[in-house]
Amino acid sequence: MFWSVKKKYLTLLFLFGILDKVIVMEEKIRQGYLYDFYGELLNEHQRSIFESYVFEDLSLAEIAEAQGISRQGVHDLIRRCTKTLEDYESRLHLIDKFMHIRQKVDRIHLLTQQEASGASMQEIESISSEILEEL
Amino acid sequence: MAVKIRLRRMGKKKAPFYRIVVADSRSPRDGRCIEEIGTYDPNQDPSAYHVNEELAKKWLANGAQPTETVNRIFKNAGIVK
Repeated sequence: MFWSVKKKYLTLLFLFGILDKVIVMEEKIRQGYLYDFYGELLNEHQRSIFESYVFEDLSLAEIAEAQGISRQGVHDLIRRCTKTLEDYESRLHLIDKFMHIRQKVDRIHLLTQQEASGASMQEIESISSEILEEL
Repeated sequence: MAVKIRLRRMGKKKAPFYRIVVADSRSPRDGRCIEEIGTYDPNQDPSAYHVNEELAKKWLANGAQPTETVNRIFKNAGIVK
């Protein structure tokens, strides 16, 4: 009994440890990425409110006043949108993949810069720059 | 008249870059800002921020309200505790 409780607790701690490493990103930055990848799946009304919140950093009250709806309404909408977008991410992992690829390409970039400049090194560097641009 | 210090997202899709701006809370949408006092780049690891401390302190002393996100950056930069 005691052991099982402890084990559960440890698993929880372990999970939080992992979460800590994955989500070091500031909430609004994360929402910005979510919007970049999946924003077009929201409807226009949701998009305009989510944008003011995430891109312009407006407060809920300011958005509410501008849109003529209640503060609570804005709050609910942003929470719902974030949840929807996170749901897409949990199925598609586009942001996750993007981050990993970017990390690796960054690394390639760094390595080629350290090497003596040969023609092939230059090409590798320009290709990796292109990959970063296209992601 | 409420003055706010907020982040404004610049940069392009999937490569966010933020400016820390001072803006009037009554003209939120038109994008006018009173002054730009810093930048914030979450692409780097760890995130890089650059704040003009003098201006930030001046605006805070004048009663400008930082948003939560900006406040956290200020805390990291040691401008507020």
